[in-house]
Amino acid sequence: MSLLEGRNVTRAFGALKAVDAVDFQVREGEILGLIGPNGAGKTTLVNLVTGTYPLTEGEISFKGTPITGLKPAKVSRLGIARTFQIVQPFPGMSVRENVVVGALFGKSGTGRSTKEAFREADRWIDFVHLQDYRNAAVDQINISFRKRMDLAKALAMNPEVLMLDEVMAGLNTKDIEEMITLVKRINQELRISLLVIEHVMKAVMSVCHRVTVLHHGAKIADGSPQEVVRDPRVIEAYLGERYAKARKGSET
Amino acid sequence: MGGQKKIFLIFGLIAVLGLIVLPFFLEGYWIRVITSIFMYAIITAALNIIAGFAGYAAFGNIVFFGIGAYTTAMLMLRVGLYWWVGAIVGGVLASLYAILLGIPILRLRGHYFAIATLGINRATEQIALDWGSFTGGGKGITLPLPQMEINTFYAMIYFIMFGLLAFTVLVNYGIARSRLGYALRAIRENEGAAEASGIFAPRCKIVAWAISAFITGITGGVFAYWFSFIEPATVFDIMIAVKAFVMMMLGGAGTVLGPVLGAFLIELISETVWGKFLTIHMLILGIIMVAIVILMPRGIMEFFRKKFSLAAIWNNIKNQAV
Repeated sequence: MSLLEGRNVTRAFGALKAVDAVDFQVREGEILGLIGPNGAGKTTLVNLVTGTYPLTEGEISFKGTPITGLKPAKVSRLGIARTFQIVQPFPGMSVRENVVVGALFGKSGTGRSTKEAFREADRWIDFVHLQDYRNAAVDQINISFRKRMDLAKALAMNPEVLMLDEVMAGLNTKDIEEMITLVKRINQELRISLLVIEHVMKAVMSVCHRVTVLHHGAKIADGSPQEVVRDPRVIEAYLGERYAKARKGSET
Repeated sequence: MGGQKKIFLIFGLIAVLGLIVLPFFLEGYWIRVITSIFMYAIITAALNIIAGFAGYAAFGNIVFFGIGAYTTAMLMLRVGLYWWVGAIVGGVLASLYAILLGIPILRLRGHYFAIATLGINRATEQIALDWGSFTGGGKGITLPLPQMEINTFYAMIYFIMFGLLAFTVLVNYGIARSRLGYALRAIRENEGAAEASGIFAPRCKIVAWAISAFITGITGGVFAYWFSFIEPATVFDIMIAVKAFVMMMLGGAGTVLGPVLGAFLIELISETVWGKFLTIHMLILGIIMVAIVILMPRGIMEFFRKKFSLAAIWNNIKNQAV
């Protein structure tokens, strides 16, 4: 069953169609990869789901109910959480206070006292291995830790669908390995369905069950990671027409 | 930290007890001075809810003070109600005003919001000026005088303001620890991320402003009763709000006790020093404001949290120079 589904999702900025008639599904329990060259419309698609931008055309539904036109806060409370490509922390607050915001206002936060929320926040700080930096100020920790803090905040919201916008970007090899393990655990242990925007192909290949590819706002491929990376349209989109033709020539 | 908290508590307790017994030893001038410090502390602590916690620079917050003052005056004169009924109704009206205006203008951010609140303050003052048949216009209006001995009256106002200040500090304390407090701080630090975390930002900001307006409105009502005479230029005076901003920033915006501390410091300085420099009084206020921003942008309370050090101040200066 598809948990999060978009039909004919379109967003135009003036004459430019940043997302052009895209159909997508995040099925229950799966990790959907969303890839494509820079400017393909991946982040815009996430922003359309969260309600940050209104749709020009099309419809998005969550668990069968349309969520088109809802405000970001409302969408978050339904159980759709996200992280940001450029981490969006609350700079004047500690790591713990950042995460507690997620625990207080996410899907199951409304009934929680602040004390319970802090306990919940600590749980997720431990989950992403930030326990040594609980009380650190946000500007005292590096990008890798900030990405994990953002992840902990999103998890504290108790989402059913989690959208990770380039959570590996800017991390070193070791941190990428750790993040891959975390993403897998989130999917397997916590049974959260994920939509993962990623450029790090190693991560895409190892964590995603399915991959949707965008190019110039349109969907050009959809399938298993192995199928998608062999798709000539995808190779063309990433490496250019000339490379694709040359490659074809050498194969025959 | 625990030891420091204890010291804080002991000092606080001594200060509170001292202020409670003070009117039994003093009367006249100093009672009025301290009452007016209380009043500034209330206005500053109320401002702190919207400007300190939520980070929305409501420079025109004094409009609620004027509304409270005029509501009290009108209800006493035209309807014959008790002053305190007038003050409470004034607070409620100020609150409604904040909700009604907050819906459109709390969408604005930064300078735009600050300017919009200034505009509202001026426009509302103009209504009080032009609607002379009802409000008394620019000549001002005299309220029914209290039927009691003057020193008893001043002592009474002293305790009312003191109680209102205690109430306002408790409200700040409650907000700081509540869901609303976390929501407001998240909004201040990053509104987009706050909404993505499930915070209904518009609603939270409106609630914060309505609470701020309610307290400021009641204070205006008490002020009207205390002075027995109000005019638009006094109760809509933008300088009250500007001073409240300096006090809030000096003490520490977004902290519970900072605004009160700031109000006491500035008012005591003004009583003891500025009285001798009447003409350059604004210049000194300006210098203090610049000094705060450069030397301790997060206010005095920050030094209680961290250790006070000259190195920290020097760091702030260096950071500004870059």
